[in-house]
Amino acid sequence: MSEPTRGRIHRAWRRIYRSVFRIGWPRTRQQRLAAMLSSLALHVHPTRVRVHVLRFSSTLGLGLVAFYLFLILIVTGLALMLYYVPHPDAAYRSMKDIQFAVTFGMFLRNTHRWAAHGMVAVVFLHMCRVFFTGSYKRPREFNWVVGVLLLLLTLALSFTGYLLPWDQLAFWAITVGTSIVAYFPLVGEPARYLLLGGHEIGQAALLRFYVLHCVILPLLMASLIALHFWRVVKDGGLAAPPGRMRRAPAWPHLLFRELLILVFVLVLVHAAALAFDAPLEQIADAARTPNPAKAPWYFLGLQELVHYGAILGGVVVPTAMIIALLVLPYVDRRGGGVGVWFARERRRANTVFALLAVVVVVLTVIGTFFRGPNWDWVWPWLR
Amino acid sequence: MSEGPPRRRVVLTLGTAGLAAGGLGLLAALARSVVPDVLYEAPRRFPIGRPEDYPPNSVTLLPERRLFVFRTAEGFHAISAICTHLGCNVNHEEGHGFVCPCHGSTYDEDGDVTNGPAAWPLPRYAMSLSRRGELVVDTRRTVDPDFRLRA
Ligand code: HEM
Ligand code: FES
Repeated sequence: MSEPTRGRIHRAWRRIYRSVFRIGWPRTRQQRLAAMLSSLALHVHPTRVRVHVLRFSSTLGLGLVAFYLFLILIVTGLALMLYYVPHPDAAYRSMKDIQFAVTFGMFLRNTHRWAAHGMVAVVFLHMCRVFFTGSYKRPREFNWVVGVLLLLLTLALSFTGYLLPWDQLAFWAITVGTSIVAYFPLVGEPARYLLLGGHEIGQAALLRFYVLHCVILPLLMASLIALHFWRVVKDGGLAAPPGRMRRAPAWPHLLFRELLILVFVLVLVHAAALAFDAPLEQIADAARTPNPAKAPWYFLGLQELVHYGAILGGVVVPTAMIIALLVLPYVDRRGGGVGVWFARERRRANTVFALLAVVVVVLTVIGTFFRGPNWDWVWPWLR
Repeated sequence: MSEGPPRRRVVLTLGTAGLAAGGLGLLAALARSVVPDVLYEAPRRFPIGRPEDYPPNSVTLLPERRLFVFRTAEGFHAISAICTHLGCNVNHEEGHGFVCPCHGSTYDEDGDVTNGPAAWPLPRYAMSLSRRGELVVDTRRTVDPDFRLRA
């Protein structure tokens, strides 16, 4: 190739490259700042962050992990959608095909399943982190409320996905779950009818759950996450104690940490997907109830309560908890203790919240491990 | 808006009201369309065979219908097999009533709760004889515990 041709190709390539990345690979501080502002993915970050919030211990990276899990779920979910058929005559068989006739299908399904379960746990832990560091105080009240909606959406996404395999586990978990819905006074019965598209869990219910799970709820979730992130920046960045104002440029300090956590999440999820297979029981059968019939694990705390009384566990406690979470930042208005773990000024609030969180965890553990046939008490190590 | 001549203001007001009404109407239509009118499920009133299919003094479970059919000296009656607590299928234990495997609710022979988290009795459904002499169960209509169909 002649010298002039090489030069022309090089210039053409540069023109194309620069039309996409206006700054190029930034080498100076100035260029990095410009890069942060000129890219869609990067401009949701502040350009400079307070050193305090860069420390892993201030956030434990939990919100970010939740977001990464959501991304993994979108990607693996889209791949699963190419094979899954949302009809009672075909759903179970398409699950079998995914597991045994699709190359890496089992791995795909495992990844989707464990990322989903992980997301429920991580979002819960993220909420605890935000509480114990007092990070929902002014001006972040509204972002806490957005967070509560995200928690509910996460649960709704997991719940709607649970029916899709159309096996016994799915069918009876959703039977129990939607029966709890029906206990809400006045709206319960109509809400269940609307959710199922009828009186029983059949073709209409499966299609509704599918559309909710694959389209409506993910779109809502993506929009609310965008709002959540936007508000983090607009509320002045992450919460940190007053005083410690030293800042560092987001590129490289923040970006490097984000990348590190991404690698960490990918490794963990894929290791789980290699080690444990997602369960698939026999095909759904309305005539045969497995004993015990359990809801998904994150609802077993509620199911444990429902065992004592359906109104108590199905209506009173969950409603009270959601309302308490929503109004919390507007009721607890005392300043102080923001951005510090377990601040002394917040000892009472932290104790109450910790007690409630422990109750939720203990009930969930009881429902998951200590309940056997007929919901009788069993010792898991004696089984 | 209030600056302009009266005619323009009237047009604007009417236009805005029209748009709002149209938008609300569309929303209402959308919301209504989500409520299903056609149900792709088993009919709620269905035949269950002829009386002589059921031996005297017997209890028969129809698993697909999730229903128990009783034939006693006084006649026929039908009790739902769906636990009123959270929807599991109950088992019938001869002479002891019904037991739910999920959270241990128990019911007596009439379907009334004797124990456990369930708060309501098992529904007892209306039965009738069709013109062709078949037993028919209507799960949209519940009846008193002493209901019996003579056949
Ligand atoms: C899908 C679920 C969620 C995602 C993806 C998400 C993501 C994030 C991310 C990435 C951050 C930045 C800090 C960090 O990484 O911890 C953040 C901060 C925050 N989140 Fe979430 N979050 C979710 C759910 C929640 C929930 C359930 C709550 C509370 C009820 C909540 C309340 C907040 C608040 C108040 C902040 C600001 C904290 C601060 O300024 O230190 N979020 N969230
Ligand atoms: S479903 Fe029968 S006791 Fe709970």
